[in-house]
Amino acid sequence: MYMKALGIDIGSLTTKAVILDGDSILAANIVTSSDEAELSARAALAELLNKAGLSSSNDLYIVSTGAGGKSVSLSQQQKSVTTCLARGVHYLAPSVRMAIDMGAESSTVIKVNERGRLNDWANHDKCAAGTGIFLQQMAKLMQVSLEEMAELSLQDKSKADISSTCAVFAESEVISHVHREPPTPKADIVAGIYFSVVSRIVSLCKRVGIEKDVAAVGGVALNRGLVTILEKELGCGVLVPPNAQFVAALGAAIIAKENIEKSLGR
Amino acid sequence: MIGSEKRSNKISAIIRACRLIMRMNQSRPEARKSELLYYKMLDGYYSRLLNARENGKPIAAHTVFFPSEILYAMDIIPMHTETTTWMMSLFLSNQAEILSAGAELGLASEICSAHRGLAGAFSLGALPRPDVMLWSNLICDNTAKSGELITEINDCPGFYLDHPFQHSRAEERYLIGELESLIRFLEEKTGRKMDWDRLSEIVARMDQQIELCREISELRKAVPSPVNIRGYLQLLTVDYLCPGQPEAIEYLEALRQELAGIVHEGKGAVSPERFRLMSLFVPPIYLIPFLDSLEQEYGAVTVAEPLFTRWAAGRLDPAKPLESVAMKFSLIPERCSMYGPLDERTLKDVAQCAREYKVDGAVYWAFIGCRHTCAAMRMFKDALNEIDVPMLTVDCDIVDPTVNSKEEIRGKLVQFFELLEDR
Amino acid sequence: MLKRFRVVNEAFPETPEILEHKREGNKVFGWLCTYIPEEVMHAAGILPIRITGYSKETELEDGNAYLYINNCSFSRSCFQMGIRGEYSFLDGVVGGSTCDGARRLFDLWRYYIKTPFHHVLTVPRKQTQKAHELYYDQVRQFKQHLEEFLGVQITDESLRHSIEIYNESRALLGRLYELRKRPEPPITGAETMEVLNASFRMPKELFNQWLRELLDELAETRNTHKGRARLMVVGSVMNNPEFIQSIEEQGGLVVTDELCTSTRYWSDPVVLDEGMTLLEAISKRYLNGFPCARMVPSEERFNRILGLARDFKVDGAISEIIRYCVPYAHDLPLLKDRLKAAGIPTLALDVEYGTSGSGQIQTRVQAFLEMLEAKGK
Repeated sequence: MYMKALGIDIGSLTTKAVILDGDSILAANIVTSSDEAELSARAALAELLNKAGLSSSNDLYIVSTGAGGKSVSLSQQQKSVTTCLARGVHYLAPSVRMAIDMGAESSTVIKVNERGRLNDWANHDKCAAGTGIFLQQMAKLMQVSLEEMAELSLQDKSKADISSTCAVFAESEVISHVHREPPTPKADIVAGIYFSVVSRIVSLCKRVGIEKDVAAVGGVALNRGLVTILEKELGCGVLVPPNAQFVAALGAAIIAKENIEKSLGR
Repeated sequence: MIGSEKRSNKISAIIRACRLIMRMNQSRPEARKSELLYYKMLDGYYSRLLNARENGKPIAAHTVFFPSEILYAMDIIPMHTETTTWMMSLFLSNQAEILSAGAELGLASEICSAHRGLAGAFSLGALPRPDVMLWSNLICDNTAKSGELITEINDCPGFYLDHPFQHSRAEERYLIGELESLIRFLEEKTGRKMDWDRLSEIVARMDQQIELCREISELRKAVPSPVNIRGYLQLLTVDYLCPGQPEAIEYLEALRQELAGIVHEGKGAVSPERFRLMSLFVPPIYLIPFLDSLEQEYGAVTVAEPLFTRWAAGRLDPAKPLESVAMKFSLIPERCSMYGPLDERTLKDVAQCAREYKVDGAVYWAFIGCRHTCAAMRMFKDALNEIDVPMLTVDCDIVDPTVNSKEEIRGKLVQFFELLEDR
Repeated sequence: MLKRFRVVNEAFPETPEILEHKREGNKVFGWLCTYIPEEVMHAAGILPIRITGYSKETELEDGNAYLYINNCSFSRSCFQMGIRGEYSFLDGVVGGSTCDGARRLFDLWRYYIKTPFHHVLTVPRKQTQKAHELYYDQVRQFKQHLEEFLGVQITDESLRHSIEIYNESRALLGRLYELRKRPEPPITGAETMEVLNASFRMPKELFNQWLRELLDELAETRNTHKGRARLMVVGSVMNNPEFIQSIEEQGGLVVTDELCTSTRYWSDPVVLDEGMTLLEAISKRYLNGFPCARMVPSEERFNRILGLARDFKVDGAISEIIRYCVPYAHDLPLLKDRLKAAGIPTLALDVEYGTSGSGQIQTRVQAFLEMLEAKGK
C-alpha cells in the first residue's frame, strides 16, 4: 500500500523533490542535476528520504515532472510541468490566478483557476532570453557571479539600453557596454539586462492576459531585484512563495496524493 | 517555356494518388462508400482539368470562395487554386519546391504560403495554364492581391470580383453587379454563354448540399461523435471543389447515411472518446493524416469547426439563380465571421457552438501567414474563457512544414490533452 | 517656421491644439486610411486626426497580445497606444475595410477600447461607376450616423466650407511639393515629412495658415539642398522623419514620395460639379484618388508613381515596406519591373513601423547611392 506522496521535478540545472505527509510538506530538497535524468532522480530521492528520516522507498507514490520527467523509471506517473505548477501554486497561494515560472531554460506563464486547474499557458519555445541560463551567460560576460549581479541590481542606477529582443544580439550589446571607453557602470548594465529579461516575461503575461494575484516561482524568482522590476512593468505586486523553487515538485507530490486517495476510494 | 508535358505532371500525380487510394479502399471490406465517392469526386475534378484542352473546354483558375457555380453553369472547367496547392502538399510533399519558386518571383516570406506556393507552382509549370484567372477579396488581402501576378505569369486575362464588407442594400446590389460583370467577362473571354437553366439546377442542388451539411453537422453533436479531423478535410474539399454538383450530393448523402448509422449504434470516430475539440481555422493540411492518428491515440475528436462547417440559416431559391449565388456568400460560415466586422454576434455564436457540441477545449490553428485570423484569436479566447472552455494556440503553417515541426505540435496538443484531463 | 510643425509632432497625441479643441467642448475623432472622408467630420465641427502609432520602433507587447505577431507593426503600434489609454481623448474612431491589419485593428478597438462613436465604411477596391455608387452610399450612411450621434444636421453650407479648407490644404501641399521639383530644393524630404505629419494632427485652418507662412519663407530662402542622387520613397505608412533623414544624410535627396501619409493623402482636390451633390463629389474624390496598393488593378497606382518619378526627375526609388504588409508586398515585384522599364532602379527595404533607419539600412542605402552614381557617369 502506498502511503506517502512524493514529487520530483527534474530540471536541466537542478532536481527538486518534495514529500508530503497528509496535507503538509514533510521534507524537500534540491540537488544539482546530472546528465542523466535517472541519476538525478535517484540522487534527489535518496537525499530526501534521508532528510525525512525514512528508510526505504516502498511506501511511496512518485510523480515526476520537469524536462527529465519522462525518462525516469522510479515514478508511477509523469505529468507536465504546467499541470504541476498549477497545483503547487494553488496549494501555496489559492488566490493566485497567474504564475510565472522563471526557470533555467525557459520561462513559462500559467493561468490557474479557482480550483487550482490549469486554464492556459504560454512560453517562448524558441527563445533563450528571459531565463536563468541567459542570466548566467550575462553574468559571465560581466565577470561577476550571479549573487554579485543580484546585489548590483539593488543599487541606485540608471538603466543601460539593451534593445535587442534576441539573446544572441543582447550578448553583443552587453559586451560593447563592458568594453567601451569609459565602461558603462556595472549596475546600469545589470539593470538593462534585467529589464530585457522582464520584457520577455511581460509579453508572455500579456499574451495570456494579466490577472491578479500574480506569483513568481522557480529559481530566478528568488532574485529580488528582478522581481522588483517585474512588479513595476506588470503594474501589480508579485508574490514569491518562500519555497519558490519547489513549486513544481510540490504540485507533483499533490497529484501523487490525489492518486493515492483515488486508489483508496476516497 | 516548359512544355505541356511537365505542366500536367502534378495534376496527373494527384489523380494517380486518388486512384491508388480508391483501389486500396476497394480491397478493404470495411471501407466506407463515402470514402470511395470522395476520391472518385477528386479524381473526376482533376481528370476534367487534365483533359480540358483536349476536350476543347476553357480552364478558369479561381481563388477560395469564388462562385464556381457560375463556371459549372457555363461549362467552364474550374481550378480551385488554394485547394490544388493543398492537394499538392498533401499528396506530393512538394512544398519546398513551389515555395522557393514563389520566393524567386520576389514575393516576401510574410505573404501567405498558399499564395506563394500557388504563384511558384504556376511559374514552374506545375499547374495547367488557365484561360482566365478569377479572384476576389474573400477572404483576405492575400487573395485580393494574388491574381494580378498570376495573370502576368500565365499571360491570360483576369477578373477581380469585389465583395462588399458589410450587408446594406446598396452593398447587396453592388455584389449582384459584380457577378453580372463576371458573367459578361467570361462570355467575352471564353466564348461560352451563361446557361441560366443550368445555373438554376446548380442552385437547387447547392441548397440541397447545404442542407445535407447542416444535417451532418447536427449528427456530429452526438456523444460519441461520428466524424473526426479527417472528415473535416473532406467536408471542406467537397464544398470548395464541387458546389452544386451531383457527385457532391452523392457523397454527402452517402456520408449522412453512414453517420446516422454510426450514431444510432452509439459508436464514434475515435474510441474511447475522451476529449471533444472545437477547431478554429484550418490545421496544416499536410498534417491531417498525422493529426488523425494523434486523435485516435489520445481519444480526441474534432467535433466542430464553427468557422467552416456551421452554415448559417437560409435557403437558396433556384428561381432567382444570381441572387442565390450572391446570397450563398452570407451563409458561408467563414465569410460571415471572418470577412466583415467581427463583433459580439460571431463570438456568441462560437460560444453557443461550444455548448451545443459539448466541447471540452478549442484548438486555434495560428497560421503564420494569415493575419486576419490571428488577430481574431484574442477575442475568441476571451469569449470561450467566459464559458470556461480553454483554448490552445498552435503556431503553424498551412502548407510550409518548416514553420513548426510535428514533434512540437504533438507536444503542445498532448500537453493540452493533459490540461483537459486534469479539469 | 518648420520648428512649430515639429513641436506639434513631438507633443502628439497631447498636442495643445487638440487639447484646446476639446476644452472648448468640441469633439475629436481618430481616423485611419486615406479613404476616410475627413470633410464630413469637419463639417460637423469635429476635429479629425489621423491615428498613428509610436514615433519609434518599440516593444509591442500589448499589440502582440491582441493583434498577434503577424500583423504589421503599424497596426500593433496603433492598438497598443489605444489600449494603453493614449487615445482616450477620442470621442470617435472611423475606419474603412481597407486592409486586414486596419479592419482587425478596428474590430479589436471596438471590442476592447470602446471609443463612444465607432464607424467603418466599406471601401470598394474598384473605381468603376458602380463602385462609386456604392461608396457614395457609404459616405451618406456615415453622415447620417454622425448626425444621429451628435444630434446635429450637417448642412450643405458647412460641407462646402470644409471642402474649401481641405482643398486649400491640398493646394498648399501641392505648392510645397512643386518646390521639391527644383534641381536644388529649399526643403528636404525629412522636413516635408514633419509638415505632413502635422497636417493631420491639428485643425486644418491653423495648419493652412502655418503652411502659407512656411511657403512665403521658403520663397525667400537661399538655403537649398543638393544630393548625390534624387530619390523617391514609396511604400505604405511612414511617419518617421528620422528614416528619411538617415537616407538624406548619406546624400540621397528625397524629392518626392508615394506614401499613405504623403502624396496619396493630399493629391487630388474635391471637384465640385453642377450635376453632383457635395457628398457625391467628396466620395468620388476619395475613391478615385491616388490609389493604395489595395486597389485593383494595380496599374493605376504604378502609373501615378511613374508620373511622379518623371515630374520630379527621380534617379532611384527606395521602397519601404513594413513586415507583414501584404498589399504592398504583393505589388512590389510588379512595381520594380515597371520602374526598371522606366530606367529607375529600386532599393527594396523591409522595415518595422517607427524605424529610424540605422545600421543595416544605412549600409544598403549607401551601396544603392554608389550604384546610382556609377550609373549616372
